[in-house]
Amino acid sequence: MTDGPSGRNLDGDAPVAESVVETGTATITDDAELERTIGLTGGLAIGIGTMIGAGIFVFPGLAGGEIGTAATASFTVGGVIALLVALPTSELATAMPRSGGGYYFISRGLGTLAGTVIGLSLWLGLVFATAFYLVGLGYYALDALAQVGIAVGAGADAVVSAIAVLAGVGFTVLNVTGTENAAKLQNGIVALLLSMLVAFLGFGLLEAFGVVAVDTPSGQAADVWGIGPVLSVAALVFTSYLGFAQVATVAGEMKDPGRNLPLAMVGSVVIVTVLYVLTIFVATNIFTRDALLSAGETAMVEVGRALLGPAGALVIIVGGLLATMSSANASILSTSRAIYGVSKDALLPRWASRINLRYGTPHVALGMAGGPVVVLAATGQVRLLAEVASFLHLIMYGLMCVALVAIRRDRPEWYDPDFVVPGGPVVPVCGALASFGLIAFMNGLSILVGIAVIAATAGWYFYYARDVSLKGAL
Amino acid sequence: MTRVLVPIAVLDGGSVSPGLISLLGAVDVTVLGYHVLPEQTPPDQARLQFEERATSALEDVSQEFAAAGGAADHRLVFTHDREQTIERVTDEVDADAFAVPGTTGDVDRLLVSLSGDVDADRVLSFVEALVGDRDIGVTLFLAAGERPPAGDDDATDADTSGERDTVAVADDAVDAGDADHDRPHTTQARLAVAADRLREAGIDVETTLAAAGSPFDALVDAVPGHDAVVMGERAPSFRSFVFGEESERVAAASVGPVLVVRDRRAADEADADATPAAGE
Repeated sequence: MTDGPSGRNLDGDAPVAESVVETGTATITDDAELERTIGLTGGLAIGIGTMIGAGIFVFPGLAGGEIGTAATASFTVGGVIALLVALPTSELATAMPRSGGGYYFISRGLGTLAGTVIGLSLWLGLVFATAFYLVGLGYYALDALAQVGIAVGAGADAVVSAIAVLAGVGFTVLNVTGTENAAKLQNGIVALLLSMLVAFLGFGLLEAFGVVAVDTPSGQAADVWGIGPVLSVAALVFTSYLGFAQVATVAGEMKDPGRNLPLAMVGSVVIVTVLYVLTIFVATNIFTRDALLSAGETAMVEVGRALLGPAGALVIIVGGLLATMSSANASILSTSRAIYGVSKDALLPRWASRINLRYGTPHVALGMAGGPVVVLAATGQVRLLAEVASFLHLIMYGLMCVALVAIRRDRPEWYDPDFVVPGGPVVPVCGALASFGLIAFMNGLSILVGIAVIAATAGWYFYYARDVSLKGAL
Repeated sequence: MTRVLVPIAVLDGGSVSPGLISLLGAVDVTVLGYHVLPEQTPPDQARLQFEERATSALEDVSQEFAAAGGAADHRLVFTHDREQTIERVTDEVDADAFAVPGTTGDVDRLLVSLSGDVDADRVLSFVEALVGDRDIGVTLFLAAGERPPAGDDDATDADTSGERDTVAVADDAVDAGDADHDRPHTTQARLAVAADRLREAGIDVETTLAAAGSPFDALVDAVPGHDAVVMGERAPSFRSFVFGEESERVAAASVGPVLVVRDRRAADEADADATPAAGE
């Protein structure tokens, strides 16, 4: 191919490039075939499984505690932005169904600098997100302990951090050594969670519209309907919408990608948005702002208790544990693919994508995911972790929309997406503006940390991979 | 030409025994080298690291097959799902059978199972092609414990449902050589007809009719004295879901290689259905 990637990095490695033939069931290279094994259900399970843990089980307390029922608007805003990005991402993914997802699209659409920054911050963004899920898991584990009668008094925060760290180490070790396919388990967990939620929300809605009545504690604090607070909460809870980009990181393994990728990405966003809005509606309908605020990360457990008694609380605790685990696990998997995508293009040393012989797993990449996750999880800073993860993802989302506009304008010969976003540049332009705009409503410290990460990744580009050229290369 | 797919776990020490190589000397062979990856590992990443090693191993194996007589080629697939890969490649190369490799020396006698709702006509043609003019004996095996399928004798009535009957297919096979058009309705007769057909092709045939008990156990009991098993592909059942594919279990229980002849009846009917539609 005339416009293949070129150049060498500091170690003298060039990007790996070859021409391949994509079919619905396999990617065919010169000497080998790569089987596509993930179907639509698997894709939806990755998307929903990654997202649902945060949006349903961690954020209702935080978001509802801040602005009450107005948080439904925040989740709606988040969902609309996610959809505005999911559509352009689908078009890019069907044209380039490769491992690496957002990184791959941006490096091909906008060049190596943007590619390096996004590739590395996708890795780090996933690391922040995973740490956030693990801290959420820690809070649920704490509640589970309380439920069985082990009360943790003053040192609760330390216990949460300790559980998060242990879980982080556990997941990393399991992923390095585990050769059993957990994909079917993941599908089952997502199906179980969805059915639990539908039952729970159904009952909650009946209560909300007065068909059944439960005792709801009274409170004085009113909802806060205002553009500023709603958007600021939307920026916080946007971490609940990161999962569809994870679907794109396994694009190289999806069966019939032209059909399944758009369906899995758009479908998972739509499904979780509906669930989130209903959940927050039910939660804020039962508890007022101050009650949710005092219950914190696991406010949903109290909601469950109020609706269905101890059984309800138990269901939510089990659901919360499963959901945060599946989020964390799915994120670690996508992280190793993100690192592989970058390393294949010589933007990270080649050894980052080594596979170990004994287990057949990419132990270096998994370590590069798990190590920083454990460090970050130890901080126990739910909000900061969530917002930095959102920040790094939002930058990627915005740039993916820009990349779509750029690629459509350049029209490389190979660009032939199966799925085309209707309406010309309207959706990607809105998506980019919304993604970048949401960042402005974040907490100052989160923005600062995010900018520092971006600056560090740009510095890496100038140090290591300045001579690599990827733009327009398939 | 008859083609057999031989899947081997190319990087996990998978190999093909000399007996299987010489057994497949009279047919074409596609060696499918696969490497199953845990889901943590993108297949592309594994390819980057292992492709060269796997390709050279595969080339060696396919050369051995070519040296034994038949034409041989090879494919290399990195996958998360072994069954899906074998199924896809079997379809793509249009193989008549696939092998479950096992250990064996020179093959003197094959055990050919006709139990159950298998495509007996195809199994028999495959055995003829496999044996060729070599001095390999065949024991035809049929478990009577299986209820003989109720006879739907109208073999032309193929377009009504997805299923045609074993008896009807056996009739097709018989009609060529059997002037009386006597329809074999008992398992004994089915076995005799099949044996006659192979004898006409010049093959030394014995028959074994297992009277009672589980067809699977009876087949495994019949294995001693045989070097390889040929059986028909059967539709996935609850048993295969719980215990694994029957062919895999036979291979595990008998140690030797198993050749599974694919059932083309469903595919043939799909083609038959598709042709008029395309003509409209």
